[in-house]
Amino acid sequence: MNGSGKAQTTWVLNEDEALELLAFLVTAARTQVDEAPEYGPMRLMMAAARLVETLQSRATVSTRTFLTSVADRMPGLATPMSDAQDYGQRLDALCAALAAYLDAHFRTGGSQ
Amino acid sequence: MEQPVLDAIRSRRVARRMSDAPIAPAQLEAVLASVRWAPSAGNRRLQRFVAVQDPTTIHLVRMVAPGMLQRPAALVLICIDSQRVEHFRLPRQNMGVYIDVGCALQTLLLSAHAVGLAAGPVTSFSKAAVRALLNFPAGLSPEVIVCLGHAAPDDLPTMRRRKLSWRDLVHWERFE
Repeated sequence: MNGSGKAQTTWVLNEDEALELLAFLVTAARTQVDEAPEYGPMRLMMAAARLVETLQSRATVSTRTFLTSVADRMPGLATPMSDAQDYGQRLDALCAALAAYLDAHFRTGGSQ
Repeated sequence: MEQPVLDAIRSRRVARRMSDAPIAPAQLEAVLASVRWAPSAGNRRLQRFVAVQDPTTIHLVRMVAPGMLQRPAALVLICIDSQRVEHFRLPRQNMGVYIDVGCALQTLLLSAHAVGLAAGPVTSFSKAAVRALLNFPAGLSPEVIVCLGHAAPDDLPTMRRRKLSWRDLVHWERFE
């Protein structure tokens, strides 16, 4: 199901950008085998931040507005090591905000 | 009393965001020339160094290095030459080989600092991918990538950890 006909035809990543993100995800999976577990969520959030950066220039107005509102709430290079509870809470808040936006986007076609 | 070496050690920082300003060939050569002065166990010189300046190659290496936050102007890869390791009949698990990598790394970081360059080490990269991208010969293993460039004005802050003094790190004499 997709509530956004416009979003279906809007490319938000070109081939080069998608390849770069693919390389990051695959190589991060490999490096994570040998690295501290605390880097796992950090690498995923780094990938998310890269995706947000690209999306912000090409997504629909509503998605751009949403991304702008959450961009500075992303934990960036923080890791759960220093304060796992706070880190978890920050991600919980981000997940909840994302869920609320997904609900609006896919149910009502938020492609404006 | 002037303490230029200690001052350099204390003022060196890892740069995690770099500007696109180029670095002078003389600066890069000075950094590369310094590494032969790094301590090496038995003076065996088991490390080899690969310098990369081509922007496309740097971009490709960055793609397979999740830990490379910087967009550097040059790279120096510190590599272990396993043929030399075997020549000296060192067992594979000999940690001295990696201690030498660390010594070379710190020498590179300090020499970059001395010639006015920003530097940052990266160990989070796919060795297999880097070997393929740089067409490495068999037996040469990339262990650390040193990013070189100029620190961006908005360089990222250092990773926040509990601040330690040297006294937190040192134990005197015997353990009870």
